[in-house]
Amino acid sequence: MSAPDTGEPSELVVGRYGELWLKGKNRRDFERALLKNTKRALAPVAPMKLVREGAQILAIPEPGSESRVGDLARRMAEVFGFSSISRARTAPADPQAIAETARTVLAEALDALPRGRAIPFRVETKRGDKSFPMISTELDRFVADRVIADHAERLTVDLSHPELTLGIHVRPERTFVFAERVPGAGGLPVGTLGRAVALLSGGIDSPVASWMAMKRGCEVVFCAFHSFPYIGESYLAKVRRLVARLARFQVNSVLHEVPFTAIQEAIRDGAPPSYRTVLYRRQMARVACRIAAREKASALITGESLGQVASQTLENLTCIGAASSLPVLRPLVAFDKFETIELARKIGTFDLSIEPEPDCCTVFQPKKPILRGRIEVCEDAEGSLDLDALIDAALEASERRVIAAS
Amino acid sequence: MESIYLDHAATTPIAPEVRRGMAPMFEAEFANPSSRHGPGVRVREAIEAARARVARSISARPEQVVFTSGGTEANNLAVLGLARAGRGKHVLVGPTEHASVREAAKALVSEGFEVETLALDERGDLDIERLVSRLRPDTVVVACMLVNNEFGTVSPIPRIAKLVRANAPNARVHVDAVQGLGKLPVSFGELGAHTLAISAHKVHGPKGTGALVVEDGTRLRPLVFGGGQERGLRTGTENAAGIVGFSIAVELAANAQRKTHAHLSELRALLADELAGLAGARLLDVGSEHSPAIAALSLPGPPAEVWMHHLEERGVHTSVGSACQGNRGGIPPALLALGFGEEEARHILRMSFSSMTTAEEVRAGAAALRAVASGLGVKP
Repeated sequence: MSAPDTGEPSELVVGRYGELWLKGKNRRDFERALLKNTKRALAPVAPMKLVREGAQILAIPEPGSESRVGDLARRMAEVFGFSSISRARTAPADPQAIAETARTVLAEALDALPRGRAIPFRVETKRGDKSFPMISTELDRFVADRVIADHAERLTVDLSHPELTLGIHVRPERTFVFAERVPGAGGLPVGTLGRAVALLSGGIDSPVASWMAMKRGCEVVFCAFHSFPYIGESYLAKVRRLVARLARFQVNSVLHEVPFTAIQEAIRDGAPPSYRTVLYRRQMARVACRIAAREKASALITGESLGQVASQTLENLTCIGAASSLPVLRPLVAFDKFETIELARKIGTFDLSIEPEPDCCTVFQPKKPILRGRIEVCEDAEGSLDLDALIDAALEASERRVIAAS
Repeated sequence: MESIYLDHAATTPIAPEVRRGMAPMFEAEFANPSSRHGPGVRVREAIEAARARVARSISARPEQVVFTSGGTEANNLAVLGLARAGRGKHVLVGPTEHASVREAAKALVSEGFEVETLALDERGDLDIERLVSRLRPDTVVVACMLVNNEFGTVSPIPRIAKLVRANAPNARVHVDAVQGLGKLPVSFGELGAHTLAISAHKVHGPKGTGALVVEDGTRLRPLVFGGGQERGLRTGTENAAGIVGFSIAVELAANAQRKTHAHLSELRALLADELAGLAGARLLDVGSEHSPAIAALSLPGPPAEVWMHHLEERGVHTSVGSACQGNRGGIPPALLALGFGEEEARHILRMSFSSMTTAEEVRAGAAALRAVASGLGVKP
C-alpha cells in the first residue's frame, strides 16, 4: 500500500481558523496555542509535520503515512480553534496542473455521491496569490471545462446550490484543491483563556459543561468526589473513563479524586436533612476552590442547569455559589436536557455517562430536599460542624492523577 | 531438526510482551469484571484499558470495540447481525471471503435472504463496477475482506465503502481485516466500513479472542443472549486474560506496522529471487495490490499437498488452502473464483510470514523447496 514517491505527499489536511478578530499579541498567542494543541493531538495518530501558512495549519503526513490522512483530518476536527477542515491535494501554480489535480479530486469525490442522477456542481477559486496569471472566475471556468467532460452524465453546473463544490485555493507557496470542507470544532485553542476546575459527577451534564469550557479556551482540571464505602470503586473507574474521553479535547487531563464520606456523615448527623444536597455542594465548591489554588485555576465549572431537577433553583444555586471564592461558570444553565444529551452524544461521553453507577450525591439523600435554600440556614448548619478540618483531611487524602486521552 | 515455521497466516507464536501482560490475569486478577467489589472493578478497568488500547491502535473509539471469541465470531456477528437488523433481504459477499463470512451468509438463505457472491475481474481484483451494479435498495450487507488469506490480494475497501454508502442507503459494509492487521495500515475511520473484524492470534496474540468494531448508530442483532456484557452485543463473562493479551498484541502490531511491511516486503522479494532457481515454480501475484505477508506458490510436479509433507519432513511448515478450511479438503473457493481449474489449484502452496520471520528462514524454506524438487525428481 505504498504511494509513488513524488516528494510531495498525495494528500494533506488543511485546518482553517478565522482571523478577522485576531489582532497583535492575541493573534500570536492564539496561533502558538493552536499549533501546540494540534501537534499534541495529531502526533499519536501518524507521523506528520505541521506547517502554518496564512490563516491555516497544514498537517502533512510523512512518507509512509499517506494512508492516514483521513485519520489526521478527523482528529483535527476535534481540536478547538479551527473553523473548517479539508482533505486537500496540492498542485503547482499552473492552470493545467491544477486542472489535472482537480480531475483526481473530483473522481474521488464522486465515489461518495449517488449515481443515477446529475449532481449540482461548481468550481470555487480563492486567489491568495495575486501574481497568478488568471483571476478567480477565469480559473473556475478553465478547470470546470476540463473536468466536466470526464463525468458529463453525472454533473450539472449549478453556481447557486451546488451539492459538490470543488475548491481551489491559490497561495504563493502552493495551490490546494479539495472537494470536502467539514466544520472544525470552532471555539478557541484550549489554554488561551486560562484554567478552571470542573466538578465532575459522572452524569451526563458535567462532562458536557467541561467540554464547553474547553471550547472557549479554558484548560480544565477535573475534580470528583467519592463516598466509599457507601458507593463502590466502580464509580471512580467510570469517572476516569469520562476524563480520558474528555482528554481528547485537551490531550492530557488532571483528575483530583477527593474522599467525601466524612464530610457527608458530618452533614447527615448535624444539619437539617432537607439541606443535605445543598450543603454537600457547598463543601464541594470549597474543596474545588482549594484545588483551584493549587492548580492555578481561576474559576469553577459545574453542569448545573436552571430547573433541571427540582433542587436546581435560583435560590439553591445562589447558596452553592456563595460558598465559592471563585466565579462558578455554568455553561449549561439555559440548556434543555435533550440539548445536553445531543451534545454528549457528539462529544462521545453519553454512553459512558449512562452506565448505571450511583454518585456521592445519592448518599443519605433526603426524601424532601429543600427547594428554596437560604444562605443563613446553610451557614448556621455549617457553623456547628467542624468542616474546615474535614475539608483539610479530604484534600490531604485526595489523589491527583494525570489521565491520557482515550 | 530445526523447525522453520512459514505458516503465519494460519496463526502466529505469542509475543513475550503479550504473555507477560496476560500473566496477572491468571493469578491475582481473576475476579469477575461484572462484580461490583474492588477486585472486580480492577479487572473491569483492565478490560476497559484494553479496549482503549485496541481502539487507539486502529483509529477507532473505545465504545466502538466489541470483544468476541475471535475473527470467526466477529465475522458471524457482523454478517448475521447486520442482516437480521437490516431493512431488506439482499446480501452481497466477496468472492474470496473466509469461510466464517461465506458460511454465515449461506445460513441466511434459510431465513429468506437472497445471497449473491461478487466476482473478480481478469486481474484478480474485486470487480467494483459489477459490485455497484448489484447494489439494490434492499441490500443490507456487503461483506468484503481487506486481505485475502490465500493470495494476499488487497481490496480497496475505502472506495468500496464510499460507493456502497452512496448507492445503497440501507446497506452496511463489513470488512474482514483479520489478515491485514499489522501488515497494512488498518484504520477504522479510513476504511469507512460499518463493521470491521480483527483477531488476536494472527498478530502474536492469544487464540480465542478478537473484536468486531462497530460504527456508532449501526444496528446489529446479537448472536448470544444473557447478562448484557459488551453492550449486549456479545454477552457472557469476558475473557479478560485474552482481551488484555489481544490489546497488547494489537498495539505492538500497529506500532510496528510500517516496519513490518518493509520487512515482509523484503522477505517476499527474497523468496521470489530464491525461487528463480526452481524451474516451473512461480510466485503468484493475484490482483493489483498485495500483502507481503502471503506468498502463494504454483509448483510443478506432484500436488502441493505432497510438497507440503516433503517440506515438513525437512522441518519447514507451510500450508495448502487455508488452515481454516479444517480437514475438509476440496478446492478453496478463492482459487475457483480466480478461474483456477481443480488441477491447477492443487498445485498451489502457501508460505506466509510475520514480523518474527527471518531472512534465514525464508532462505532455508527455499532451499528445502529445491531439495524436495530434486528428491521428487520434478521436471518443469
